[in-house]
Amino acid sequence: QTLNVTIVAGHPPVFRWVKHASQTFIPAVNKALEGTGTTIEWSEQYGGSLAKVGEELEAVEEGLAEIGLVSSLFDPAKLAPQNVTYFTPFVVSDSTLVSEWMDRLQMDNADMKAAWEANGLEYLGGAIGIDDYLLMTNFPVNSIADLEGRKIGAPGPAVNWLAGTGAVGVSGNLTTYYNEIKTGVYDGVIVFASAALPGKLHEVAPYITKVGFGAQYAGGFAANKDWFDGLDPVVQQALRDAAEADRIAYHADLDASVTKFLEIMTSQGATVTEVDDAFRQQWAAGMDNVAKLWAEKLDASGVNGTAVLKDYMETMRAAGATPVRNWDME
Amino acid sequence: MEQGALPRWFLALQRWVDGITTGLNVAGTVLIFLVMLLVNFDVIGRNFLASPISGVPELVSMSIVAIVFLQIAQAFRKGRLTRTEAVLGWVERRAPRLRCAVDIVFALASALLIWQLYAASQPLFVKAWVRGTFQGTVGDFTAPVWPVKLIILVGCAALLVQLVMFALAAGLRLLRGGAGAS
Amino acid sequence: MSPFEIGLMSFGAMIVMVYLGLWVPFALMLSSYVGVWMIKGSPVLAGKLLALAASQTIASYFFGVVPLFVLMGYIVSVSGMGRDAFDVANHLFRRLKGGLGIGTVGANAIFAAITGISIASAAVFTRIAVPEMMRHGYSARFSVGVVAGSSVLGMLIPPSLLLILYGLLTEQSVGDLFMAGVLPGIVLAVLFGGGIWMTAHLRPGALGSVRDVDDMPVLSRRDVIVKGLPLALLIGLVLGGLYAGFFTPIEAGAVGCLGAILIGLARRSLNWRDFWQVLNDTGLVTASICFLIIAAQMYSRMLALSGVPAGFGSFVATADIGFWGVILAYVGLVIVMGTILDSSSIMLILVPLMLPVLSTMQVDLIWFGIVTIIAVEIGLLTPPFGISVFVIKSALDDPDVTLGDIFRGAAPFAFLMLVLLALVLVFPQLATALI
Ligand code: NA
Ligand code: NA
Repeated sequence: QTLNVTIVAGHPPVFRWVKHASQTFIPAVNKALEGTGTTIEWSEQYGGSLAKVGEELEAVEEGLAEIGLVSSLFDPAKLAPQNVTYFTPFVVSDSTLVSEWMDRLQMDNADMKAAWEANGLEYLGGAIGIDDYLLMTNFPVNSIADLEGRKIGAPGPAVNWLAGTGAVGVSGNLTTYYNEIKTGVYDGVIVFASAALPGKLHEVAPYITKVGFGAQYAGGFAANKDWFDGLDPVVQQALRDAAEADRIAYHADLDASVTKFLEIMTSQGATVTEVDDAFRQQWAAGMDNVAKLWAEKLDASGVNGTAVLKDYMETMRAAGATPVRNWDME
Repeated sequence: MEQGALPRWFLALQRWVDGITTGLNVAGTVLIFLVMLLVNFDVIGRNFLASPISGVPELVSMSIVAIVFLQIAQAFRKGRLTRTEAVLGWVERRAPRLRCAVDIVFALASALLIWQLYAASQPLFVKAWVRGTFQGTVGDFTAPVWPVKLIILVGCAALLVQLVMFALAAGLRLLRGGAGAS
Repeated sequence: MSPFEIGLMSFGAMIVMVYLGLWVPFALMLSSYVGVWMIKGSPVLAGKLLALAASQTIASYFFGVVPLFVLMGYIVSVSGMGRDAFDVANHLFRRLKGGLGIGTVGANAIFAAITGISIASAAVFTRIAVPEMMRHGYSARFSVGVVAGSSVLGMLIPPSLLLILYGLLTEQSVGDLFMAGVLPGIVLAVLFGGGIWMTAHLRPGALGSVRDVDDMPVLSRRDVIVKGLPLALLIGLVLGGLYAGFFTPIEAGAVGCLGAILIGLARRSLNWRDFWQVLNDTGLVTASICFLIIAAQMYSRMLALSGVPAGFGSFVATADIGFWGVILAYVGLVIVMGTILDSSSIMLILVPLMLPVLSTMQVDLIWFGIVTIIAVEIGLLTPPFGISVFVIKSALDDPDVTLGDIFRGAAPFAFLMLVLLALVLVFPQLATALI
């Protein structure tokens, strides 16, 4: 039996997680299915050919693709509980750890599970972790006072991280950071190392401050639920196992390149500073408790946001994280 | 089109339909002006008052979809949708009735297509309404997306009606021997 | 039938329908609807593809400001600054034959420095330059041709949204790409201007019955200032603000719009009736352009599902033809796809396919980016599907000027782009010297 499977990702294959979908996930599925009598004919649709970034969920939900690399970060309304990491900065910097536990929560936490199902999706695993977010600026940051009145670009939910610092948070995206720092629209950005080097952001914002915002969960593999439910259990298991193999390979690759990328940026003239605990404490303490606000808003809309927040924080503390601020305990 | 070539009841109907189309068009036009002001306030707020307006990218990206679907029926009625007249013009000079027939076929095929678009867009509106889907970020700015999905439906319906009126006009001209084709 | 064959067939059907006179967006939508129905075996899925593309394609900040770039051009035009610009251009180039055509190219090159999208240049200069040139006796075909041709400068001279997209696809620095676009952009403007000048000397009839500029009153210095100052102010506001970091290239349209309105009010040359009229027109142009882009997106999604572009791409990538073989085949493929697809679709389909091939051949990806942009932009001018030409047609709103006229008028400029492409291929320094 041959299955025709369309797999969709909004980002192009130069992005690490898409590369691994093609080079780790698909071969792993094919290998697991050898000798089972089922083969899969893959149609790989990356880089916006079928769905752009943030459109993967709808493409899979409507059945235009069977499997998608769904970015929860870009679907904050439909996959609200999955965005918990972006509302809880300063929790943990290890993206491998975050993604492993977020994958488990997708299975164990009722609200996270329900969010996938409400959109007609079956979560397969293969969490996309994002390495520790950094503050990159065109001026040195020695204290929080240095940020007063500076315009800092940040991706959607991370704008909240700047509230209370005196900086002006501007919602922006990766594609225009370079030019907008260069011309002075922004004085800096909140960004992660594995995107900063390819974007050459250190050329225009050479002061890299490791504030410790933390690693994030940005999404994972999901399948159309109706389609998935109709599959042979052997095939279902092959897809889940391959997603896990993909997560492990992707994060090993990511960890290796983050260290390398920071070194390259340093060798090209960037200054990397790690802030001390007092700085980090002051920043975290100065923020509004946006996690609580977010959880309450979810509570009001029928999703148990407070429970999701608590579950996530407890999971991470149990896994060995020492959050700078315990967002769930205030 | 020579108005005199068409019956009075049709012209009355066309006037009524055009009134609605123009109303939608005006709404879209006002929205363009508001988008311009919004972006300028954001630029001024960010540079001189250290307070950008939250949610401008989200509002602008939702507005453009609304603008296009509010105005698409009017754009069609005013002949702004691109089509090549090379073959059609040649046909019209030699066989005006055939030209009318081709126009009817094209307009009805397009109407069917827009009907499919309408039918497939309707569940997207329902989902956005039922689930309360929003754009933006909790804590910063959020806006519901259902109004835009509703405007897509309204715009498709208005375009569908204009396409049917176009086919009807071509049909009436065909009955009168193909004179006065637009 | 295999999806590949369905893709080819629906492409053929789309071309036939466009030539028969079906509205272009409906031809694209119809071929994608039927194509997806046949590939996936489900009319419901085909409908869903249409609906998703309709709600997603243009829902971005970038498309949101398209009407503002159009509106800015209209307001400049309706408040008399368009005429002033060409009076001044006429004055500056009055000693050159074909001066107003050359002035249009120059004005476009300047405008390119404040816009990132070619369709904005095409829409704006259709309103400003075409009526002015025709008033001075240039033929309609030449006038629209100049505008179509020089509109491509908008994507080559920074800022450029296509270069940003390419940088994203290949992990190259957008800043470097912007610098790399400067020299080729200037060379192309010079090629266009020089081409017009030579034509005016060798085959003046090709431009129409251009009235010699000598029989126009020569502007006094005061006239030049009165006509030129408002324009200089507006360009200063937009360019200055852009490079001083007050706003982004995307926001420049809105700021320029407000600036143009204020200047128009100050000069008492903008009244409510005209303003409402151009605001309305902006909406109609925006709706027809964006509806076309939506339809093109539906169509390219159908093609992606059929595997036709990927099939062509891997054919090129795997053929054993050496460095120049690969580059030339790639350029040829881009140009061929440019006849039927929009610029960003071509890049999104082909560039990721080429990357692995290129990395084995040590190709400079910045240079390759400029080559790609020029080749892709030729497609804006080639029939049957040329976005710049379509934009000009809908912005012009003149039934006497057919699509065919515009395509024919643009052809010499498409040829000059080929010349530039050859120059960049032979002299990579054109792209890399400034970095
Ligand atoms: Na430009
Ligand atoms: Na073309």
